[in-house]
Amino acid sequence: MTERSNRPQKTPVTIETLKKKKKRAANSARLAKLVIQRRTLALLLVFGVLSFLALFAKAYDLTINQNKELQDRASSQQMLSTVLTASRGTIYDRNGITLAISATADTIFLDPLVIEQRAAELDKQRAQKLVDGLKEGETLPISGQEYKDLIARKMAEILELEEDFVRGEMAKTNWRYAVLRSRVDKEIGDKVREFITNNETGSSIQGVHLESDSKRYYPHSTLAAHAIGWLNNENQGAYGLEAIYNDELEGTTGLTVTAKDGSTNSEIMFQYEQYYDAEDGCSLITTFDSTIQSYMERGLEDMVAKYGAKYGATGIALDPNTGAILALASYPTYDLNNQRSIYVEKLQAELDKVEEEYPPLEGQRHSSEYNDKLQELQNLQWRNKAVGEPYDPGSTFKILTLSMGLEEGVISPASTFECSGSLRVSDYDIRCSRTIGHGHQTLKEATGNSCNPAFMNIGFAIGQGTFYDYLDAFNLRTTTGVDLQGDTSGIFTARDKFTTLDLACYAFGQNFKVTPLQMITAQAACINGGYLYQPYAVEKIVDGSGNVVSQHDATPIRQVISEETSATVREILEYVVTDGGGRNGQVAGYRIGGKTGTADQQDRKSDDPRGDIVVSFLCFAPADDPQVIMLLTLDTPRRDTGTYPSGGNMVAPTAASIMADILPYLGIAPQYTGADQDSIEGTVPYVVGLTKDEAAAKLADYGFTSYRVVGDGEIVTDQTPAGGAIVPTSAEIILYMGAEKSNDLCTVPNVIGLSATDANKKLVNENLIMKVTGATGGGAKAISQSHAPDAEVAAGTVITVQMGIAGTTAD
Amino acid sequence: MTRDEFRQLKKLREREQRRKLQDAYEAAKGPIDMPFLLLAMMLLAVGMIMLLSASFPTAQASSRLGNDPLYYFKRQFRFSILGLVAMYVVSKINYERFRGLARLGIWTSFVLLLLVIIPGPNSYGRLLALGDNGAARWLGIPGTSMQFQPSEVAKLGIIVYFAERISQKREKMNILFDRDGAGPLVLLLGLMAGMVLIEPHMSGAILILGMGAAMMVVGGIHWKWVALGVTGVACAWCLMAYTDIIENILRSIQYNASRITVWKDPFGGDLEFQRGAAFQTRQSLITIGSGGLMGVGLGKSRQKFGFLPERHNDYIFAIVFEELGLVGGTLIMLLFALLIVRGFWLAIHARDRFGSLLIVGVTTQIALQTFLNIAVVTNLIPSTGISLPFFSYGGTALAIQLVEIGVVLSVSRQIPAPKAG
Repeated sequence: MTERSNRPQKTPVTIETLKKKKKRAANSARLAKLVIQRRTLALLLVFGVLSFLALFAKAYDLTINQNKELQDRASSQQMLSTVLTASRGTIYDRNGITLAISATADTIFLDPLVIEQRAAELDKQRAQKLVDGLKEGETLPISGQEYKDLIARKMAEILELEEDFVRGEMAKTNWRYAVLRSRVDKEIGDKVREFITNNETGSSIQGVHLESDSKRYYPHSTLAAHAIGWLNNENQGAYGLEAIYNDELEGTTGLTVTAKDGSTNSEIMFQYEQYYDAEDGCSLITTFDSTIQSYMERGLEDMVAKYGAKYGATGIALDPNTGAILALASYPTYDLNNQRSIYVEKLQAELDKVEEEYPPLEGQRHSSEYNDKLQELQNLQWRNKAVGEPYDPGSTFKILTLSMGLEEGVISPASTFECSGSLRVSDYDIRCSRTIGHGHQTLKEATGNSCNPAFMNIGFAIGQGTFYDYLDAFNLRTTTGVDLQGDTSGIFTARDKFTTLDLACYAFGQNFKVTPLQMITAQAACINGGYLYQPYAVEKIVDGSGNVVSQHDATPIRQVISEETSATVREILEYVVTDGGGRNGQVAGYRIGGKTGTADQQDRKSDDPRGDIVVSFLCFAPADDPQVIMLLTLDTPRRDTGTYPSGGNMVAPTAASIMADILPYLGIAPQYTGADQDSIEGTVPYVVGLTKDEAAAKLADYGFTSYRVVGDGEIVTDQTPAGGAIVPTSAEIILYMGAEKSNDLCTVPNVIGLSATDANKKLVNENLIMKVTGATGGGAKAISQSHAPDAEVAAGTVITVQMGIAGTTAD
Repeated sequence: MTRDEFRQLKKLREREQRRKLQDAYEAAKGPIDMPFLLLAMMLLAVGMIMLLSASFPTAQASSRLGNDPLYYFKRQFRFSILGLVAMYVVSKINYERFRGLARLGIWTSFVLLLLVIIPGPNSYGRLLALGDNGAARWLGIPGTSMQFQPSEVAKLGIIVYFAERISQKREKMNILFDRDGAGPLVLLLGLMAGMVLIEPHMSGAILILGMGAAMMVVGGIHWKWVALGVTGVACAWCLMAYTDIIENILRSIQYNASRITVWKDPFGGDLEFQRGAAFQTRQSLITIGSGGLMGVGLGKSRQKFGFLPERHNDYIFAIVFEELGLVGGTLIMLLFALLIVRGFWLAIHARDRFGSLLIVGVTTQIALQTFLNIAVVTNLIPSTGISLPFFSYGGTALAIQLVEIGVVLSVSRQIPAPKAG
């Protein structure tokens, strides 16, 4: 086909005109073709290039610039994520005994809105059924109110709550999450689960929910409470090792991220499941020894019960050769499982008193006075006094002065000192504890007497600069670096203000403050060969599969004094316990070194005109090769107990009884000397069924020489004490030959104030066995007994009697 | 004019006609344009793959479709085979023969569009039209369960008719008020677009208008009108982008103006707005944006699991960006760009104006549709329901696109080989 022209033609068509026209047409066609080409090219540029540049720019902006933001929006709508909680690491003592462990717990909450809806639904069904009538075997559904009552009643019952409280929570229908109880034990959670699925309504309960997470348990409740610490409501360590090692213990929360379907919100079955493993927390193997810790806590408690302690008490036991903390206790203590309530009865009584004085106002649970007091007491019981509270150490510091003097060569064991009862320093008369003076003394005697003038003179001999250098060498002016909460530095006069008077006071441990932990760390360096160790509480960190993540490196920080000096110090301190002011710290069969301390806390405002004092005792054993070093302090004991308040009188006996328990436990064998033969212990052999001679021989083999026969049979039918009992070998064993063992109870006599011999006589008369601990020698008198006088006990019971020497001066 | 002269003239004419036909016949035996064909086939292949990826979760989740994950893919595949056969056949035809179809085509289109919009008693308020998503744009083919969109047919009809008209009356194209001028074409275009708009099918109307306008521009309408048109569109754009006037006007005529509000700030508004009007656009942007540079990987889209609406239809390119990232998306856009550039290049080199205009019509349609689709998906412009050639699910649309490709190929056969030297 060609172009047709339908236009009416007026002029006749000739070949010429046609050709002319054709030429014109060709011209115009060429022009038109040019227009087409140009304009098509323009379209090509607009549609083929420009439009795509615009699209690319927009796409770049979305995919690159806004990528993060849009991706977040995408994941938040696409992902159904389930948190996998990591289980928190366990805290063990050095022997693998669990101190803190996590277990699953349930939080129970209501969905008040759903309960309301369900109640309305039930009412509706019930009304319908009432209209329709019941079919056979059908029961009428409960009413909405009955439904709510049922939930309130059962929840109150299972969770031990007031029914009104549950009803109150249930009434908050604009809420979807009303917690009834947080973190209850699994058993209680299971009861709730059981109720939800299996109940009177015949179908499962709607609107009661459980949420599982973990709860921390402290199996030994108060044991090493201050060191271990506790978690806050978010399961984060708030205090103690739990807080310091929170990152290690916590682990990493895992996540399962499942892609979900946009329309049904269900998981889509295939692909896109990301699983981020929860990584369980690491466990801590601490240096604590539960057994030693419990001995120490019991000791502190006894001591406080006996002498009172206005501001508490502390106890620390270290391995002097590594700095490992075997036990660390502060009083008052608290139950880790219930850390917000006041544990010590006396303090609770104070709180009750405030409650009585200030009853809560209308609508309050407690008065603000009560809350303030509660908070004060909580802070008091949580306070890790042993680590964080500096005190004037008093005479136990003389160990350091002694070490410095010997190390610097300004004194020797041969040095002698004169004491007139006081020394005049910079226009001040500084008195000795014995105001009439100690007279002429050797170095040993001066230490045994805890003679202040002697030690002031040693201080002067050392000199201000050198003495101050040693404070730094013993790390007293810095924190100890221990991995426990509250690590604090001592408080000292600045070096440029350190006067002669300061030096004189410092020499016997007054006018500056150190923490008990600083003190024992420095003292350990004095007796272990001179090596200063950093005290530490965590031996190893172990991951979930048992691999050791980190291990404490017990290399000494520095050697402060020489091995020789240290040996001399040990010898002198052993003398303090055998013959000096520390005699109450004696433990039969063991060589103990120690030093007493009674320190004025002059900076404190005290109610007592005589001021506050901290009495303390530092001891270590065995004296020739120390395996354990222990420092006990008692802050401001009562002055009306009849016992003169001093470290030697009040603290040393307790220290001795703790040591008497610790040392055999640590496997350190006792070595008895003649003086403490009475204290040798043996295990009573089992002799029932033997003849009298055979029994006697066997008893002798076990070290028991004294026995008594009751009855006239051929063979032993019974024995007291029973086989396996550990009693002093001086005890008399009763062999029953056919005679009935007497079931009569014996009455414990009062032996307090008697000498060891008299006490033993009195106890044996009552068919009881005496075990002696504490001081020996001439002046020693029984100061306590394990069973109260007039108590009724079985014959052959071992009664432990603590011997002590009552001093009348401070040390 | 003498009898002889007349005879001579007639002979001359006949000879010329014969020669032209001969030429055309010879030319129709020439090779098709391989680059254009290859680009189209690549887009078809990539489009099929992306359709499979985007549609399988929907298909699998739908019990109505027999939970067959391949449901959409299979149907699209069948239509693509049909389309390819048609494309081959059309490419073999000497395109000059299409001239004869011009009038038939435009009448058919008109009648079909009329059938769609006749009101009636069915659930869409129409006599015959069937709908999808509330818009009655479809007609059933009697005796089969198949449906098609008359507006798709109309596009082809308009292309052929316009190409024929404009190539015949090129001298009058710059005259508006003339029987053979641009005026009647403008009216015709307005009528067709208006019918499509009534369906309602806004994007179809825009396409028809844009395509017709492009053909008239190329065909030689006066440059002042071109300038006027461009200025008009630019002004409308500015009014829409920077003022509330258009929105207010739309609202006043009860038209859904929220699309413009969404376009301006898809992440703003209250919850109802976000979950309602803005939902689709928000989801599309989230889908594209979460792909990043490299994408989440082919087949690994998450948004296709019930989040992104129309994921295998109008919003399929969002899935492309999510799975293949900016890199993959840009490569595919590049394929489209090359196809369009090649198309216009062929138009420039076509043997005659009719051929040029046919290609301009087809290429402009593909180009406009591609641009508008991706622009909607990326929120460059307010949303209109517009499908992406070769990608979006839709059998008739795909088949007709392939037929159109066949038309271009047919024209390409007659492009004279460049003369040596």
